Amino acid sequence: MGQKAKKPITSGQIILFVVTLLIAILFAFPIFFNIMSAFKSNSEILRDAIAFPEGFYTESFKYLLTKTEYPKAMLNSAVLTLGSIAAMIVIIPMAAYAIERTNRKWTNAVYIFFLFGMMIPFQVYMIPLFKQLKTMGLFGNLGGPILIYIAGSVGFGVLLYTSFLKGVPREIEESAEIDGCTRIGIFWRIVFPLLGPVTASMVVLQGLGIWNDFLMPMLVLPSGQTKTMIVELFYYVGEFSSRWDMIFAGTTMSLVPVLIAFLSLQKYFVKGVSSGAVKG
Amino acid sequence: MNATAVIRKKKKWWQSYAIWFILPAFVLYTLFVMIPTFNSIYLSFTSWDGISENVRYIGFDNFKEIWESPRVHNALTNTIIVAVSLVLLENVVALVLAILVDQVRWFRNLFRSIFYFPVLMSGIIMGFIWMIILNYNFGVVNQLLDMTGLSAIKTDWLGNPDFALLSIILSTVWKASGYYMIIYLAGLQGIPQELLEAASIDGAGKWKQFRHVTFPLLAGATTVCVMLSMINSLKLFDQIAVMTNGGPGFATETLTYIIYKVAFGEGRQGFGTALAIVLFILILIISLIQIRLLRKREVEM
Repeated sequence: MGQKAKKPITSGQIILFVVTLLIAILFAFPIFFNIMSAFKSNSEILRDAIAFPEGFYTESFKYLLTKTEYPKAMLNSAVLTLGSIAAMIVIIPMAAYAIERTNRKWTNAVYIFFLFGMMIPFQVYMIPLFKQLKTMGLFGNLGGPILIYIAGSVGFGVLLYTSFLKGVPREIEESAEIDGCTRIGIFWRIVFPLLGPVTASMVVLQGLGIWNDFLMPMLVLPSGQTKTMIVELFYYVGEFSSRWDMIFAGTTMSLVPVLIAFLSLQKYFVKGVSSGAVKG
Repeated sequence: MNATAVIRKKKKWWQSYAIWFILPAFVLYTLFVMIPTFNSIYLSFTSWDGISENVRYIGFDNFKEIWESPRVHNALTNTIIVAVSLVLLENVVALVLAILVDQVRWFRNLFRSIFYFPVLMSGIIMGFIWMIILNYNFGVVNQLLDMTGLSAIKTDWLGNPDFALLSIILSTVWKASGYYMIIYLAGLQGIPQELLEAASIDGAGKWKQFRHVTFPLLAGATTVCVMLSMINSLKLFDQIAVMTNGGPGFATETLTYIIYKVAFGEGRQGFGTALAIVLFILILIISLIQIRLLRKREVEM
């Protein structure tokens, strides 16, 4: 980089920059359009979709936040995302650690059994699952989806953690064991902190997936107090089919947390993708 | 003597902790993934409606119906159209974006973020935005066509069966390409600069350098991206749900969408699970090919 900066600017570089800029505008436009439209009244949107907002119209936000279930739905999404992630990063690294460090026949069998889950898309088991949740009394509350999310991420999570654990030396664990530390203590005090990069990828990838998920929460939390933000927005598209201002305000509010998370954790998002690329 | 005793004691202890560490994940995974998957296989041989208590076994009738139903054939055709065009377009766009981000001189990180951000959006939100952009009366696309005097090609992009699937495909390319761009970018940045310099000294132009040096070295990234984009295209759901609901008619119904509609809209859960098994087999085949290809590459390297 530093070396390049000294070289003179060529016309090729300028052309390349302009082309990239134009494509970037094309990519950024829909998001910009969404946020811009959230500050327009409905009649403004219908009159001229491309025009800039005339003023700073915030009525749709006020309406959504005071007169609808939207704040509740935001809270549900947050609880669902944080709850699932917290449980995931307790349960999955422990299983991966036991599998990697024990390395016996039966743990290898469990490992293969877990990996198989990566090939099963949700659509394959959603129909019996729907009925199963009802008989288990987990239908319509946030507990059901949390358990489903944890179960669904076991295969991928165990793969990520075990491959990372292969590179973590055992010597410290062994000396801690001689010092009389329990296995739980060894794992949480010594090993878990070393798994930071994988945990960060898991949090980012799975957190985003849960926050944005639609099909499962729609099936399992169809109505009432436990709808998530995305499901609520989906119903608005049908209900408020002529009130685009409401929906734009709602989508903007759901994008803002993602944008903030992305800007502050950019490094992990990019790393998370490359680790996600292993997933089949 | 003493040493073996220690080892034996250690082994026992190891064994007991491993079971407890694995158990929670094992129970949840079995209960919420494996049991319903096996139930799916069982239900695919029944005519269950999702509500009634008695589940009637009907043998291979559901699969016979899949084989014969024109609606399922249409959905399979759509799935293949979506898969092939998404794999091609997403990978070409992703590779171009990766090269641009890799080569551009200014604001490299900003551009990368802009191209990547749509990946982070929910399919529902992204589908809604595009639905409005493509709206016949008020949408941005038709407004732009009016402004540039191209009103003749204006159409109801999502209401016209000829364009609805295309609209969904193109908006999905916009959403997903950034993901594969990151993978290609990592591949590009792993290519040693000396190789390109050597090729350029040998008189290779930019295109030849790309064709004979860069592209072959990206083969690993390409395999991963092609397979991932294919599996993701088979799972495409949110955009269809919000943009067209499978319509107009059955124009945008894909395999995943028909599973949902048949099972939860039409109360034919037995038939729905049979379709789900077809999807599972498709994904299984692709995954196995992927594992094969990746292993082969490792051997070659």
